[in-house]
Amino acid sequence: MQSAIRTEELTKDYAVGFWRKRPHRALDRLSIDVAPGEVFGFLGPNGAGKTTTLKLLMQLIFPTSGRAEILGQPVGAVAVRRRLGYLPENPYFYDYLTAEELLGYFASLFGYVGPERRRRVSMLLDRVGIGAERRMQLRKFSKGMLQRVGIAQALINDPEVVFLDEPMSGLDPVGRREVRALMLELRDRGTTLFFSSHILADAEALCSRVAILAGGRLTAIGQLSELLAFEIRGWELVVADLRPELIDRLGDVVRHHAEIAPGRYALELTLAEPPERLLAEVLGAGARLVALNPLRDTLEDVFMKHVAEASSHRMTTE
Amino acid sequence: MRAIRHIAVNVFRESVRDKVLYNLVFFAVLLISASYLLGQLTAGQDVKIIKDLGLAATSIFGLFIAVFIGIGLVSKEVERRSVYGVLAKPVRRHEFVLGKYLGLVLTLAVNIAVMAVALYLVLGYMAWMTPANVQAAWDAPALDPALLKAVFLIFVELCLITAVALFFSTFSSSILSAVLTFGMFVAGHFDADLKNFDQVVASPAAGALARGMYYVLPNLASFDVKADVVHGQPVPWALMGLATGYGLVYIAMLVLAAMFIFSRRDFK
Amino acid sequence: MQPSTRSTAVFAVAIAALMGASVVLQIARDRATPASHETARYLYLRSGTVIEHLAVAYQTLVADAYWIRAIQHYGGDRLSSGGSGRYELLYPLLDITTTLDPRFTIAYRFGAIFLAEAPPGGPGRPDQAVALLRKGMRAEPDKWQYVLDIGFVYYWQLREPAAAARWFRRASTIPGSPNWLEPLAAAMLVQGGDRRSSRFLWQQIRATADQEWLRNLADRRLLQLQAMDQIDQLQQIVTEFDRRSPPIRLTWEHLYRAGVVRGVPLDPAGTPYALDPIRGTVMMSPASPLFPLPAEPAAAKAPNS
Repeated sequence: MQSAIRTEELTKDYAVGFWRKRPHRALDRLSIDVAPGEVFGFLGPNGAGKTTTLKLLMQLIFPTSGRAEILGQPVGAVAVRRRLGYLPENPYFYDYLTAEELLGYFASLFGYVGPERRRRVSMLLDRVGIGAERRMQLRKFSKGMLQRVGIAQALINDPEVVFLDEPMSGLDPVGRREVRALMLELRDRGTTLFFSSHILADAEALCSRVAILAGGRLTAIGQLSELLAFEIRGWELVVADLRPELIDRLGDVVRHHAEIAPGRYALELTLAEPPERLLAEVLGAGARLVALNPLRDTLEDVFMKHVAEASSHRMTTE
Repeated sequence: MRAIRHIAVNVFRESVRDKVLYNLVFFAVLLISASYLLGQLTAGQDVKIIKDLGLAATSIFGLFIAVFIGIGLVSKEVERRSVYGVLAKPVRRHEFVLGKYLGLVLTLAVNIAVMAVALYLVLGYMAWMTPANVQAAWDAPALDPALLKAVFLIFVELCLITAVALFFSTFSSSILSAVLTFGMFVAGHFDADLKNFDQVVASPAAGALARGMYYVLPNLASFDVKADVVHGQPVPWALMGLATGYGLVYIAMLVLAAMFIFSRRDFK
Repeated sequence: MQPSTRSTAVFAVAIAALMGASVVLQIARDRATPASHETARYLYLRSGTVIEHLAVAYQTLVADAYWIRAIQHYGGDRLSSGGSGRYELLYPLLDITTTLDPRFTIAYRFGAIFLAEAPPGGPGRPDQAVALLRKGMRAEPDKWQYVLDIGFVYYWQLREPAAAARWFRRASTIPGSPNWLEPLAAAMLVQGGDRRSSRFLWQQIRATADQEWLRNLADRRLLQLQAMDQIDQLQQIVTEFDRRSPPIRLTWEHLYRAGVVRGVPLDPAGTPYALDPIRGTVMMSPASPLFPLPAEPAAAKAPNS
């Protein structure tokens, strides 16, 4: 099956410095392949190259080397742009247009006219929750409202592939939940979603696959379940009525402990011994069991690990 | 083509909303109050002064529109990143540039047309108020249609300045573009002086450089027939045609260069 | 949609072609336009004081612009020979320049030379030259150069040696003025400004000139003096020949055949002298860069006084 988005060794150098320009590699040989219908999360800290990648895909910048295709055609082809939507990072539009006029203008660039254009504009503004404000000039809009307008304009042409650069930024918790619901709705309709974020909770809630980018390089890519499918790295045991001297007797098995209420302790146990034995010992000493949970890697742990690896790699190579 | 038209219309709508056309109110107030004051002060020559003032104001207000909006056309869009949204739509970059340019030309045309009407209204009122024997002493009649020649060439000149602004704004910041465009305006008006520079300077190299600059820089003085028109001197049609042709060719060159640069630049 | 080298070439060719077309149109326009269209012959604001207010804080810069305009005006009219040069804006332009920047020395001194120059090389307005220099004197009373220049105008263009002597004497009283001014004034009074004192004057100026243009001017004046001597000599020869020979058309060719001259006589700038074939008058050719020669006071006319 044809890919929705495909990049091959995509590379971008920027010239930095004022007098003596030297190249700075913003993106280094990125190769990814996103299947139609996927929700693909593009993760990385600030400056990792996420926006650079999106701009290359929109042909707002030209690659130094490598190539990129959307829906099987080279990026920048006008025919492809008819079929995609794009939300720039911190979108900004025309101060003196109203939300309605902006969307109408963009709709007309796709060739929509008359009642069809009006219908589309009003439907999309409803969908992103812009009500009576749609007749207000955009310079009076808050950041969150602009973000909603930005999402609406990205969807004006019922795109097959939607690129969203930091879609949650500037939104309050209610807005986030609404946008999340909107994205799930698009996914259910088969739209390919490619979005960048540094907020991992969004990715965990939405993505089928993620890529982690650090220092311009791809450091990990895969299904969330793959990336997170590490064996458990320990146990959290919470007990009440525990005598503190018992903790010392348990020895190295207890990695951390903290008294969370009088006589109630949270213990983090290593995998060195099965928890059943410790549990028996603790209960035998008269304590009561409150909870026993396995400890797993979160996406955040995976993310931090990859980013740390990438930066140490950079330090050794530079 | 469709995209160009929509972009142009959007530029016009935005500049109307941006209260650009408010300058027309200033223009009208300026002319009417000046004519009232002059009527109190001078005898006979007031129509000439109104013409001078009207044409100069048309040119200056137009210059401000051409420079400030012309710059905003592209560099402000790039700086504020509003260009990202548009260029992700099915719009080719050169269509974007051309649409922006035509939109501003439309704004200028409307603006200048309204100013010309206001000028003729004030002049008509003055002619109506002035006795025939005083009118006989005028260089040119109050409602001289030749004024339209001057207005038309002002329009061509402003279109050229807009193209200069557009050109600079495709690769430099808006402040720098404004400075460069004003510089070009000043240089363009001094340009005619460069032609005989070699007669004044001793160094042949400086003379040749000046002559080269004369031909490369836009010669804006060739659009300036204000003084001739006001003094009732004839402005031959051949001159009008050549000046207009020159303007159009120069504009085409600048717009093409702007498209060329804009199609190849990165939006960092 | 990657920008290709081919489309780059197409763009480059199209832009170059349009530039070429614009140059062609500009040349066509320049040809089609009468000279009066080239530079505005109108000076809207004639009051330097008004412009000074308008110029806000940039008076000297605006003064420079007016000075350049004055030079353009002078140079342009000088070029359009055939008597069409009217130089009518020269004085107002210089006046504005010096009002905006009252210490613009070159504008006073050069401006005075332009103004005093006889047609067609200038408007022939020594009165305006003197007025401009007097304005300079008011602005900078200790500049002896302005006083000396007024003396020149009186001597050279107005042919008033006595007045010139007064101005030279006045210049000599200003501290820092050169020591040859006093003897110059005396010679001017005694000899009425003959060529000997003229030559002395310009030799002194040439020797002490601290500026290129002043040295050039002195050179030119010295060459003109030399030409006047040559004309007097040639006139004697021609008159003598005319008296002895039958009445024929007097041309250099005839004089050469008769062995009176050794060729067509050239003036110090290399242009042949003109000879009126009927009246037998030797003159400087209007084509010569030294033309026109200054007229001399009647008293100084006799060659060997």
